[in-house]
Amino acid sequence: MMSLKVLTRFFHNQTPCLAAEKSLLATLRKKTGYTFTNCKKALEMHNNDLKQAEEWLKQQAQSLGWAKATKLEGRQTSQGLIALTVDKQNAALVEVNCETDFVARNKEFHKMVHEAAVSCLNFTQQQPESNISVTRFFMNDTQLKTLPTQDGKSLADHLALMIGTVGENASLRRALGVKAHKDVHLSGYVHPSGSGSSVSLGKIGAIVALKQLASKEIDLDKVGKELCQHIVGMNPKKIGTLSDKPAKDKEEETCLIHQEFLLDDNVTVKEILDEHEIDIVDFKRFECGENTSEVADQPLEYVETCQ
Amino acid sequence: MASLIVARTFPVVQRTVKQLLINDPLKRHSQTRIIQYIIPTYTQHRFYAEKKVFDRTKPHCNVGTIGHVDHGKTTLTAAITKVLSDKKLADVKRYQDIDNAPEEKARGITINVAHIEYQTESRHYGHTDCPGHADYIKNMITGAAQMDGAILVVAATDGVMPQTREHLLLAKQIGVEHLVVFINKVDAADKEMVELVEMEIRELLTQMGFDGDKVPIVTGSALCALEGKNPDIGAESVLKLLQEVDSYIPTPIRELDKPFLLPVEHVYSIPGRGTVVTGRLERGVLKKGNDCEFVGFSKVLKSTVTGVEMFHQILEEAQAGDQVGALVRGVKRDDIKRGMVMAKPGTVKSYDHVESQVYILSKEEGGRMKPFTSFIQLQMFCRTWDCAIQVTVPDKEMVMPGEDSKLVLKLMRPMVLEQGQRFTLRDGSQTLGTGVITKTLPLLTEMERLQLVEGKKAREKRETQAQK
Repeated sequence: MMSLKVLTRFFHNQTPCLAAEKSLLATLRKKTGYTFTNCKKALEMHNNDLKQAEEWLKQQAQSLGWAKATKLEGRQTSQGLIALTVDKQNAALVEVNCETDFVARNKEFHKMVHEAAVSCLNFTQQQPESNISVTRFFMNDTQLKTLPTQDGKSLADHLALMIGTVGENASLRRALGVKAHKDVHLSGYVHPSGSGSSVSLGKIGAIVALKQLASKEIDLDKVGKELCQHIVGMNPKKIGTLSDKPAKDKEEETCLIHQEFLLDDNVTVKEILDEHEIDIVDFKRFECGENTSEVADQPLEYVETCQ
Repeated sequence: MASLIVARTFPVVQRTVKQLLINDPLKRHSQTRIIQYIIPTYTQHRFYAEKKVFDRTKPHCNVGTIGHVDHGKTTLTAAITKVLSDKKLADVKRYQDIDNAPEEKARGITINVAHIEYQTESRHYGHTDCPGHADYIKNMITGAAQMDGAILVVAATDGVMPQTREHLLLAKQIGVEHLVVFINKVDAADKEMVELVEMEIRELLTQMGFDGDKVPIVTGSALCALEGKNPDIGAESVLKLLQEVDSYIPTPIRELDKPFLLPVEHVYSIPGRGTVVTGRLERGVLKKGNDCEFVGFSKVLKSTVTGVEMFHQILEEAQAGDQVGALVRGVKRDDIKRGMVMAKPGTVKSYDHVESQVYILSKEEGGRMKPFTSFIQLQMFCRTWDCAIQVTVPDKEMVMPGEDSKLVLKLMRPMVLEQGQRFTLRDGSQTLGTGVITKTLPLLTEMERLQLVEGKKAREKRETQAQK
């Protein structure tokens, strides 16, 4: 008899307790967004104390992210995004890869790519000025990983965190920082044209450096953007000089100046440049997932210059 | 002359051979007998490439799996075939077979998809399992694999992932309205976690515009089913999932059951009988005495079918797929043109402004090399008609070859179009891409129609004026 009473009491006490636990788990999950397994573990470890559990989770997130990142390492990343940011005389073009294009559309991933582009731009800005019109800084994945971000962590930490939340492998593939001299104008374009913020995201991106040959009132931003759009669309291999002969088949033209202008096929790029009295100093195009050989093992100090 | 000789000599040779054989009938007979005794009757079996005849007794339905890469989509697909093969309703497909789906290069378009078939007691299924967003969209556009419904796979251990939202967005975009959710990996989670995951999914589904409270959710473990362990969360959960798929995802309406539609290929005037239109009946059933309507080229004509013929023979009723000629009353040959559509009155309408999802062929697939921008003039081919159109790219500045994109098309004249209609875009002699209509928009106004034909200069002038 006695034991039965004890037993019933046991049940009565237990049920509301269970419910509380459940809602705790739900709140914790909602608040932090970490996986159920981890939330549960956190609660168990801290006797269902929500605050402690949350703190623990936040602390753990980094190491959990790293654990996940190491686990997923080696899985192929062929999708991803190109990020572009231009700030007056400095610009950065970054490629970050992920496994599926679903992730490439996700906000968490966008945040990460954004972070990478900003860090890369900061790095470029910190580089000393030089008299050369355009200075390029190429970075490969290992170099990118060590770049510091705004909150002091390295980019690799951010990447691991993102891998932890999304649960898919991702990699920082390559980046290019461009520093231009005062009289050179930098423009960029990313396709498909992304958000209106300072960093634009897309699948293909290009940076172009322009120089005005005569002082003339022209909208350099507009011309620069259109030229970038042309580079994104037509994929020229080099700028080319007048000594380069135009290809016989217009479709196979790889010299930028001889190509038909994308937005108006009655004129060539050369004619556009002449019309506005500008010159293209340098350009770079990044396509997500393309094969490259240029991002080989280079020391961070390696600087490629133009003119 | 040569054929004459052959024709003459052939019977002669035949007769000679016959006589030779008949000369000693007894002897020959016994010989064959002996041979028969020695070699037992032999029928040829060709075990290689022996094709099974498809048995169409059950309605067909197309489903697909969507979800996070690690949540077990492929394992579930493999488990379904495993469980059903025990009931002799499917062939076992191993995980590896599904995962390494070959890139199909059918019809010049590269499609990355695993296509699997199985059947339940009540329906036959085609099951698609393809990895990426762009792949699904490409499939939808080219029609390589359509989905009438989808199975969303979520692991109980992880719950809804950030990109699940993107998965559901995709489902919406490709027109999947019916979803069944499978909560996987319950063997690694406890009951309350599963309940919470379920709650979370319902919430998200409602947020994304699905009927979150009614969507069936099945819990189980695909891995257990595949390995034949714990039947209550393994094989049985898979069967339960299939039951839900059976009941929740409606069977698509067959072409035969829809109102009839015949794109006009040719029009003939037959003296003493009247006007005859020919074409392939696209859907429905056409009978003598049906009222019909000719729509297209900004015209609508009403008429009655007074006779249906196929191969110069009178047909009781023509079914979808038949190449028929229909005798129609009260319309002249010159009133009807190739490109019009003969349909059940009130079932089709003309549009000249539509929204579409288009896949632009890459250069390797035979498309063009250059990207294009808004205001490009193209030729649109659809059914038996073609029409000049103007393209507007709404959410990008240009469209690259090898990409899919939303395009708004403005036709020079209203044509019969409907949601889900497929078409091809061509530029001169080059095929640019293929697409599907996602939405019909209101007819163009007179002003917009005039603007369609104006040149680039005039348009820019107008735009700058509008800015002022």
